This record gives sequence, structure tokens and C-alpha cells, in this order.
Amino acid sequence: MLSRTAEYLYWISRYMERAETTARLLDVGYRMSLFPNPSGYNNEWESVLSAAGAIEGYKNKYDTIVQRNVEDYLFFDESNPSSVYNCILNARNNALVVRTSFTPESWLAINKTYQEILNLKEKKFSKSDLPDLTEWTIEQVNLFRGSLSSLLRNDGYNFIFLGLFIERADNSARLLDVKYFVLLPKPQYVGGNIDNMQWSILLRSLSSFRAFRWAYDGNITATKIADFLVLNNNCPRSLSFCIQNIVKHLTNLTCSPEKVGRIYSNLKDLNTKIQEEKIETIVEYGLHQFVTQFIRKISSVDNEIHKEFFN
Amino acid sequence: MYQSESVIRNHYNNINDWLDQMTSKVILEKNAEAETHFRNIGITFSTNNETVRERIIPFDLIPRIFTYTEWLRLERGVIQRAKALNAFLADIYNQGEIIKANIIPKEIIYKKKSFEPSMFGFSPPRDIYSPIIGIDLVRTGPNDYFVLEDNCRTPSGVSYMLENREIMMRMFPDLFHNNRVTPIDDYPTRLLQTLMSLAPFKCENPEPVCVLLTPGPLNSAYYEHSFLSDQMGIEMVESTDLFVEGKYLYMKTVDGPKRVDVIYRRIDDEFLDPLCFNPNSVIGIPGIMDVYRTGGVNICSAPGAGIADDKAIYIYVPSMIKFYLGEQPILDNVKTWNCEKEQDLKYVLDNINDLVIKEVDGSGGYGMLIGPKSSKSSIDEFKTKLSTNPKGYIAQPLLDLSFSPTLIKNQVEGRRVDLRPFCLIGEQAQLSSGGLTRVAMNEGSFVVNSSQGGGVKDTWVLAE
Repeated sequence: MLSRTAEYLYWISRYMERAETTARLLDVGYRMSLFPNPSGYNNEWESVLSAAGAIEGYKNKYDTIVQRNVEDYLFFDESNPSSVYNCILNARNNALVVRTSFTPESWLAINKTYQEILNLKEKKFSKSDLPDLTEWTIEQVNLFRGSLSSLLRNDGYNFIFLGLFIERADNSARLLDVKYFVLLPKPQYVGGNIDNMQWSILLRSLSSFRAFRWAYDGNITATKIADFLVLNNNCPRSLSFCIQNIVKHLTNLTCSPEKVGRIYSNLKDLNTKIQEEKIETIVEYGLHQFVTQFIRKISSVDNEIHKEFFN
Repeated sequence: MYQSESVIRNHYNNINDWLDQMTSKVILEKNAEAETHFRNIGITFSTNNETVRERIIPFDLIPRIFTYTEWLRLERGVIQRAKALNAFLADIYNQGEIIKANIIPKEIIYKKKSFEPSMFGFSPPRDIYSPIIGIDLVRTGPNDYFVLEDNCRTPSGVSYMLENREIMMRMFPDLFHNNRVTPIDDYPTRLLQTLMSLAPFKCENPEPVCVLLTPGPLNSAYYEHSFLSDQMGIEMVESTDLFVEGKYLYMKTVDGPKRVDVIYRRIDDEFLDPLCFNPNSVIGIPGIMDVYRTGGVNICSAPGAGIADDKAIYIYVPSMIKFYLGEQPILDNVKTWNCEKEQDLKYVLDNINDLVIKEVDGSGGYGMLIGPKSSKSSIDEFKTKLSTNPKGYIAQPLLDLSFSPTLIKNQVEGRRVDLRPFCLIGEQAQLSSGGLTRVAMNEGSFVVNSSQGGGVKDTWVLAE
């Protein structure tokens, strides 16, 4: 497989994953804005922007954080590299180049999505359209993922999934980084509305709201949520699940075992630690540091993949 | 479709019945379905302007039909021509017998920009310079086919031939139950076999590694490049994916360098090798010509193959057929005046109102004058051009291209068509059982080029 092809495949799934994350974050912000708080309505837009890594770009463009602008910035704005529109555009441009390396269905899924978002972009949307837009995005990404199931299980397949899980690991970790404080133990049990709300934000934006209730019995606690999102291997967006899959798809690569070996040796420690650690220890000794370190590690693995395979 | 005013040619009867039973609502729906399909699969034109959506070529639902016997003759004629063109290339880049025999004057060959001096004395595998040839044909009467143009470099359009059939079979399966249409979907397989049969002499691999070399996504035929490489299961590479080491060509893969044996290139000569052609080119592979000449890789088509489809050379193709193959041409040329010759130029200037004037290096239906359809001022403009640069032009009579029934605003109307079948020459010579029918969608128009409002149709060859 051409190095360039591998790189493009890797980035297609990163872009599609990012499109979904951005859409989910928008959905969370939207839900929150419907609930009253003591001083009016909840405003989660700033943390939504932070989690999407778009706060700086947004502030350069707009003076105040208002729903309408955030929506536009995160969904359609061409100047925001992570907007849903740009993610889909980039995925499609990459797919155009490597359509020979995956199935016609995968190409169709991406290209149809692109054709449709062009139509959506032309229309003026109103506030109440947002749930439709996010639902549409998630549907499109699912179409793409579904089409992958008929792919040859070759290196191209593994590069696609490496991209997907690197992106997801990064997205999940960033979200935790923005919201880690709501998972810290409180001096006394608060259990008020705010906490519940914050927990629900975390879970919803990681599409794990319902799953969490199925995975844990009894009361919802911060520790349980932290465990679910960081260490639970059954949760498809937890940090540990992502790492496991990165390792799996990395070691499944049949090209250049030495390159695989070099990248793996950098990942090994993190993987072992995350599989053996107890959540109580992580929370007690610094969830924030843990997450920051994790983000740094993922980014260095991403760099290495580029250096080893795509040059 | 029509023999005369109201008599339908036999083999169109089925289609006529089919058209009769389609309501205009159905036609509208099917048109929309076809457009969506083409957009979704991405068979579009790139436009440089990113804010404009990619364009698709208008697709007409009514197929153009050839009978088996009609096609047989075209097949023999096109293959004959393609063989002669390759023999011509092999000759002029070696002994030049046709020049010694005073059949073609040497000036019109060796002074042409498309002649490639660096190819002199080199013979590509099997002496095939141009393995994929598209021959543009027009029909002017019941059995009168003429060759309008040869395309020996990188003829495009074959993806439309295949996709037009695909969409027709999908939308109208019944049509294919009631008409025995020869399949064309083996074209990519045959193309790959052709390329593999042209492996360079240093290649030891029983299954030579072929790649398709594209200039990149901005090229207007990019869809076709990816479509063909996909169908053949070969890598579509850009020049940055390739490099020369030692006497071989490699592509950069995740497993490290992989040797390439045959390149199906869809880029122009001058962008192949900056060391050999255009030193300012950023999209070439330095040293590839050296590898090519020492038998480390084959480039299809060969650099310099373009001289064979030069409009000034075109005039001599019937003589080539006689000279190299000792056969009578099966397909005729269109009568052509070479303005470079004094008496031809005089005739052209005197009769310019009845003639079509074309630039020797022009394409895409641009830079031409259709005498009978032009204003006095543009005719005068061309007269000046002809007098100042006669060797830049040829002239042909305005052919009465055959009409094919075409759906225009839900009405069946006659529109002019041409045909480009695709000929493959490697270990064997073969013709696609069909081709790309282009149709001039504007009423009264003679120009079928997609860049000027031309559309396409599915082209059927009925089985025996």
C-alpha cells in the first residue's frame, strides 16, 4: 500500500470521528440550554467550545458566546478546521484520492454525506434544526462505519481504525480534561442538580448516557462515572478501550514489523498502566494530570505513526 | 434511429416501443435518478473554482444502438487503424521507411512539438507505443462512417462508457431482458491484461506490477483515473509516490519501496521527467526516462506517441494503412485540406463559408470555425489567422452528422452524435463492444464536446 494511501485512510476516519464528536458536543450544549438554572438558563457553550478545541478560534471571530454563533461555528464554519462541514469536506477530499483502497460503499457513504451537507449549508437553518443536524451527522458517520465492515482486513483496514481510535482517544480525553473537576470527590455529598447535570453532559457527549446505567448498578457516583470513562473496557469511548484498540490495530499491521515495534514500545507503559490501575488511585492522585499525560502520549503516538509510515 | 422521415430502423423498434410507454413523469424521475447517481458516485468534472459545485455531464436516457454487422465493420476498421498508427510510430522513431518512400514529408513529422527526439532509436516492448487508442467516428449515411480524429496519447471517456451502461441496467433492467446487448464490463480486465502484456524486458515478475499515474484530484479526468485503477485493482499514484533508484522505478509504500513495472500514465509527456523534458515541472519523476530506456519500466503510452494523432498527420493515416499493412482502409478519413500547402490554403480561403477550420493543436471543440454557422466577422478573423499562420490549421467539410433520438424537455428530438470506441493493443488487438457516444444537446449544434454543452448516451452493440 502506498504511504500516501495509508495516510489518507488514517485521516478519513479521524475526520469522520471528529465530525461525530463535534455534533455530539453541539447536542449537549443544545440540551443544556433548555434547562433553567437559578440565574436564567444553563450555558454550557463555553465548555462545549473548549471540548471541541475551538474556543480560541471562536473568540477570534466573535466577541460573545451566543448559541447561534456557536452552532454556526461548530457546524458550518469554513474557518473552523474542526467544524462538521470541514471534517466532512476533508474526509471526502481524502476519500476521492483513496477510493480505490476501500469499498465503493464507503466512498458512496462519504460522498453522499458531502453532497448533502452542501445542500444543508445552502439552506438557512433555524435554532430548532440543531437536533436534526446532529442526528443527521451521527447517522452519516454510522453509515460510513457500517460500510467498513465489508473491507478487506488488510493494512488499509488497520490504518483506518488506527485513525479512528487515535481521534477518539484524543476527543474523549479532551472532554474529560474540560470536565474533570465534576468527577473529583467532594468534601460532602452534594448530589444537587448541578452535579447531575454535569455528569449527564459528560456521559451524553460520549454517547454513554444509557450505557452507563446498564454497566453499573446502584447510585450514580462520580467515581463510577470516572471508572466508566477512563478504565472500563466495555465502554467504546473510554480511554482504556481506545488504547486497547490502538494497540490491536497497530500490532495487526503486517507491514514493517520494526516500525510497529518502535511505536508499540512507546505505548506499552500507558497500556499496562491503564489496564492495571484502580480508578480510586487515579482520582486521588490526580485525574487531571493523568488525562493531560494521556493526551500528550496520544499525540506523540500520532506523530510517530506519521513519521514511520506516512513519510 | 430513423431511416427517413418516418421509417424507424429495425433495430430501434424495441426502443421505440419502450419510449412510447414511458410517461413524462417517469422520464423526469429517471433523469433525476441518473443525475443523483452520477453525483453520488462522483463522476463529475472538477472545477478550479471551489465554491462552484462540481458539474456532471448531461446523460441522455435513450441508448444509441449498433447492429452486430454494423459493429463488425467498425471493429475491423478501428483495429486496422490502431495497428497502422503504432507501426507508424515504430517506423518514424527508427528507420523512417515511410519518409524514404516519400509518402509523408519529413518536415511535418520531425518539426512537430509532439515528436519526441529522445525516443529516437528506442523500441518499447512489442513495439507498441500507444496501447490505448480512442478513435472518434461519425456517421453521415446508412453505412458511411468517417474517422474524425485519432487519440493516441491518453484518450479519456471510457469511465463514462462503463458508468452509462451501469446506470441504464440499474434503471431499466427490462430493456436488457428484451434486447441482447453485448456486455462491456470486462474492459478494465482487458486493459489490465494489455498493460501486463507490455512489461519491460528487465521485468522478471510473471505478474508485472502496474500503476496508473495521475496528475492529481484537480485534473478533470480524475474520476476516470480512480475508477480505472479501482476496477483494475492497481495503485493510482501521483508522481511524488514514485522515485528512481539504480535502474528501477519504485513506489513508496508502507512496507518500503516496491518496484513498478508498467505505468499507465495519464499525464502529459512534458510532466514525466524534469531531467528530460520540462526542468520547471514540479510534478515529474526525475530519472524515469533513463529507467524507461534501459528497460526497467514501461510507460504507456510511450513519450512522443502524440505525434500519431497530430491533425496534420491524420491526413496520411489511410496511406499508412496501405504502406504498413498492405490493406485498403476500412474506415475513411474526412476530406481534409492542409492549409500548409499552398493550393489547399487557396481552396480553403475561397470556400471558407462551407468549411470547418480547426487548429492543428486544438481540442475540446475550441479554436474552431464552423463556416456555414459563423458570422462574417468571425470568418474574416479566421481568414487573417489562416493567412498569417497557415500551418496552424486544417479544414474539413461540414459533415452532416447522424442524429440520434434524444430527450429534450421530455420530448424526443434528433440531436447530432459521434462515437469514441476504445481500442486496446498489447499481446492482442481488441475493441470495446461499445464506446462513448457524445451528443450535441443544443438544437442544430455540431459540437459534441462536454466542455461545450455536450452530453453522453449509453452505446449498445447488439449480440449476433
